[in-house]
Amino acid sequence: MSLPSKAFQRWLHGVAPGVSTSDVCRASGVKRTTLAQQMVRGKVAESSLVLISRALELNPVSALASFDSYADLRGTPVAPTDAELISQIASMDLLRAVIARNDPGAPQLFELAAVPHETSVRNWVEAIDDGELRHRVSHATGIAPQNFSAHLTANRMPPELAIATAREAGVGPAGGLIASGLVSEEEAGWPIGARRAALDRLGTADLVSLAGDRLQALGKSLHRQEHERDRTERIWENLG
Amino acid sequence: MTAVLPWLTLFVCVAMTAVRVPSAIRGQNRTMFFLFALLSVDILLSIREPYLAVDAVLGGINLANLLLRFLLYGTFLLLGVRTAAAFGSPAGMRAIRGPLGIAVLAVVTVLTAWIFFSMDTRGSTTGLSGLSQTPALESYAALGRLYPGYVAACLLPGIWQAVRGSGPALLRLASGTLFLGFCLLLLSQGFPLVPESAAWLRPAINYSAALASALGLGGIWLSKSLARRRSHG
Repeated sequence: MSLPSKAFQRWLHGVAPGVSTSDVCRASGVKRTTLAQQMVRGKVAESSLVLISRALELNPVSALASFDSYADLRGTPVAPTDAELISQIASMDLLRAVIARNDPGAPQLFELAAVPHETSVRNWVEAIDDGELRHRVSHATGIAPQNFSAHLTANRMPPELAIATAREAGVGPAGGLIASGLVSEEEAGWPIGARRAALDRLGTADLVSLAGDRLQALGKSLHRQEHERDRTERIWENLG
Repeated sequence: MTAVLPWLTLFVCVAMTAVRVPSAIRGQNRTMFFLFALLSVDILLSIREPYLAVDAVLGGINLANLLLRFLLYGTFLLLGVRTAAAFGSPAGMRAIRGPLGIAVLAVVTVLTAWIFFSMDTRGSTTGLSGLSQTPALESYAALGRLYPGYVAACLLPGIWQAVRGSGPALLRLASGTLFLGFCLLLLSQGFPLVPESAAWLRPAINYSAALASALGLGGIWLSKSLARRRSHG
């Protein structure tokens, strides 16, 4: 789940000939020791590549696309579906939109919080899931379903898995990279204001149901957290 | 290694007791202070030199060993009740403090005393290792392992849940250490199966169990202190 060092070195040499590794690290904020370690192990993290390409003023998605395992990213960016766009709107913004639609006196123009939000990975997968998606991803990549779920719960997703998930769902390849926070919407070629436009296109009934679903999920996760906190407190109370 | 282990365990237990003195004076969780003090005495009494000294005062018939057994039962009752409450296992609580748990403790205690007084125990010797190995002595030793093992078995499921949960990392690590200590106590039930050539394994397992449990409890205290310090800025 990473880039081979040889290919990475070839890429770096191609885009920044004559620039030393330490200069690259200084400019990008990638720790030298970290990068060195990744090179030695033969696996350079995609996040390092993204930081370095940003520092070199290159598009990180195109940089990723130059590696064979990210060939899906080559070519013109595929436009996101409305469901994908809405999935990348934070739950609190959806609630604001519900209030704005139903109360003319409420603020109508509010800035949408930046991607990714707190449950962006799970919401993205739910937005592109036809009911069989997890099954197909698990079949195609060999990842165990419970590990896939663990990623969703932790709100992260390894880039290669994100690409495979998008491929199995038949949507644009970059959606998962955006949802997991590896690259930004602009970098992946999502049009500016696309999320807002999708929100405006969403009917009020659908918006309210969706916001309701998000609230319910939030309630569940808060319950879990409180339960865990109570458990910790009880241990400390009795044995601490 | 096996010579250092008892003293290391004693040191850890005494250190934990000392750490708890200030909060015990403030009246916070005194039970844990007593528990660590008890544990320290247990370990002290199982080391050769202090054992011989105490037993000499008690008449040189190994009464100190019986005393150690009773202290250990008390330690495990206290530890069991506290740990079951901490890890929120009502079943474990019932099994330790309920009628069944009290019955197990009573039977073990009475049998321990009865077997002890039915044996010829003259001649001070740590762990009664110098006495002739009779079936009575074997069952006396087995009883001494049984109650701690029983308590450990009641607590393991609850602790495991905390290890697998998503609490603070240090708390989970400490719970895991406590879990390990209790597993060793269960393992010690199989001591009769240990061949004589590997006799060193028995004290090694016993002290490792005590050490892991003490470190686990210490880790829980540390995780609490760190969390409180962080939340108070």
